[in-house]
Amino acid sequence: MSEESIQSGSRATPAILLVDDIPANLRVLYESLHGRDYKLFIANGGEQALEVARKSHPDLVLLDIMMPDMDGFEVCRRLKQDPATAGIAVIFLSALDDTADKIRGLQLGAVDYVTKPFNPDEVAARVETHCKILRLERQLANRNRQLELVRDRILSSMAEGIVGLDADGRVSFVNPAAERILGVTAHDILARELSDWEPPTLPQVIRRVLLKPSEISVDELTLPRPNASALPIELRIAPISENEQVKGAVLVLRDLSERRQVEAKLHRTSDELRESHSKLQQAQMQLFQAAKLESVGRLAAGVAHEVKNPLAIIQLGLDYLEASLQHDPVATEVRRDMLHAVSRADTVVRGLLDFSRERALDLRPHAINQILKESLKLVRHELTQRNIGLETALSEALPDRHFDADKMQQVFLNLFMNAMHAMDHDGVLSINSALTQVTDADLGTHARDTGFAAGDRLIRVVIEDSGPGIKPEDLSRLFDPYFTTKRQGEGTGLGLSVTRNIVTLHQGSIDLDNRGGGGASAVLLFKPDDNNSGDKKNPVGGR
Amino acid sequence: MATKKILLVDDEVALTRIMRLNLEQTGRFEVREENRGSNALRAAREFKPDLILLDVMMPDMGGDEIAEQLAEDPNLRTIKYIFLTAIVTKSEAGSGATEISGQTFLAKPVKRDELLAVVDDLIGD
Repeated sequence: MSEESIQSGSRATPAILLVDDIPANLRVLYESLHGRDYKLFIANGGEQALEVARKSHPDLVLLDIMMPDMDGFEVCRRLKQDPATAGIAVIFLSALDDTADKIRGLQLGAVDYVTKPFNPDEVAARVETHCKILRLERQLANRNRQLELVRDRILSSMAEGIVGLDADGRVSFVNPAAERILGVTAHDILARELSDWEPPTLPQVIRRVLLKPSEISVDELTLPRPNASALPIELRIAPISENEQVKGAVLVLRDLSERRQVEAKLHRTSDELRESHSKLQQAQMQLFQAAKLESVGRLAAGVAHEVKNPLAIIQLGLDYLEASLQHDPVATEVRRDMLHAVSRADTVVRGLLDFSRERALDLRPHAINQILKESLKLVRHELTQRNIGLETALSEALPDRHFDADKMQQVFLNLFMNAMHAMDHDGVLSINSALTQVTDADLGTHARDTGFAAGDRLIRVVIEDSGPGIKPEDLSRLFDPYFTTKRQGEGTGLGLSVTRNIVTLHQGSIDLDNRGGGGASAVLLFKPDDNNSGDKKNPVGGR
Repeated sequence: MATKKILLVDDEVALTRIMRLNLEQTGRFEVREENRGSNALRAAREFKPDLILLDVMMPDMGGDEIAEQLAEDPNLRTIKYIFLTAIVTKSEAGSGATEISGQTFLAKPVKRDELLAVVDDLIGD
């Protein structure tokens, strides 16, 4: 409602109904008020007064008490009974100057009392006063209505749900946001108690606020809803009290689901960031590793050339001297030691070259047991010399898989040599192969990094020795390039690093650990070829 | 059994000498050493070897370049040759000679028996 209409309403001419059975009295009243800014109606009896009142809706009635058809009290009672006329202000007029009558009239809802014979000025003054009061009341009501409208508009447009409660905890007001959040309509809950609301925290908190007026906040509450999914909300309950008496409470409900979504999104974003950061770090490490390998490669080629030429000279020189020395047993022994030294030096340089070279694998279907057996042949002599026993349990049921047989042989040789060096003399080298569902015990860090998990069906090769095992502090560094536990001159420190490179190129994993009963154990895992790769050789349909 | 002629081309003097001694020890070969890659072609024209052992990495002219020029010369293209190299590993070359891109390679340090086996394989009777 606009400001203007409020003002025009207050300016409307007041309508006054004059009621008396005696025409002379009516005339006096009429003359007292005539000429002023009033609209006047007249009735000469109770029945007529009611009729005019219903039809013309006066603002004020000057009502005589003593009337033959219906006395003023009855008229007043009926006016107040009918909602259409209940708002009309009543001033009684009577010759009676009786306190009991005045009280009776006021009890019936009259606003004032004027005794006969009246002084026209007094009547006019009282009427004017009451019209003024009426006008102010109307203005007040208008303002109230306007304030209510503004309030309703504010409450409707709020994102927070607002629920008003009376002193008994019954719902007196619900805004649309509250309807949405609670998943109910105002109709469902108005005038209802919230005692059976879910979760039980809600009625508990409400009861507490109503009993002991203090504000309570609940940061997060999960609200189950009748026909919708549960909602995370923030809850605030403030008591409405007057003169330290609780008149009710206001619930403020804030829907947290959107905030939760944003938070979750932020969380995801930060997780993604962290992941890409670690990927970046990994890539950086790989680049660094690659750069290192490249420089090692260049160095290795140079070293190889510089070392292998002298080695070739010594080798061929010793070969040439063989015939001349063959009758001298000591010289022959010395020559053999020298040949051995050449071969050792050659191994070192070869290791360097192997490490630096990332040759593409020559992958063909192979039985891994066959590669194991070929590799074993090469160390059988050394095993015998060192008095090391061999235990093999090679599963017959292993499927062929794509391997670079030479490279894998290098891997196994390396592991056999390490095992033999660890045991030195006496002991047992045991080799086991199987196609099996791996368990957690089979999975080392490399296996997990490769993406293998417990329950995967994998080709597993276990190579174990009965040596002293690996020192705990060395375990994590075994596969680092140039790390070696061997004495100076015995190893390049590249063996296991190259070994892991080769296994990784086969999409396999290799982890080393100590066995429960002493000694070290190497576990190699390979995913069997997909059946598809077998189909390549025998395509079913042509393309 | 005719004596076969072998030309050794390697910048390492001690190496060509010990190779020559080993080959001559068999009494089946006539051997000439050449320690400058750039002289290899002239030596080949003069000596007319049945086989050339050719070092790949030499300071003035590499074995690969010499091989190319041998192939271009109608008088020399029938001469067989083997590369000697330090940077092919044994696991790549295996024991004895191996073929990489159609070329025969011997990995240094080569043993006498391996050397003789490869030589016999190529120019033996």
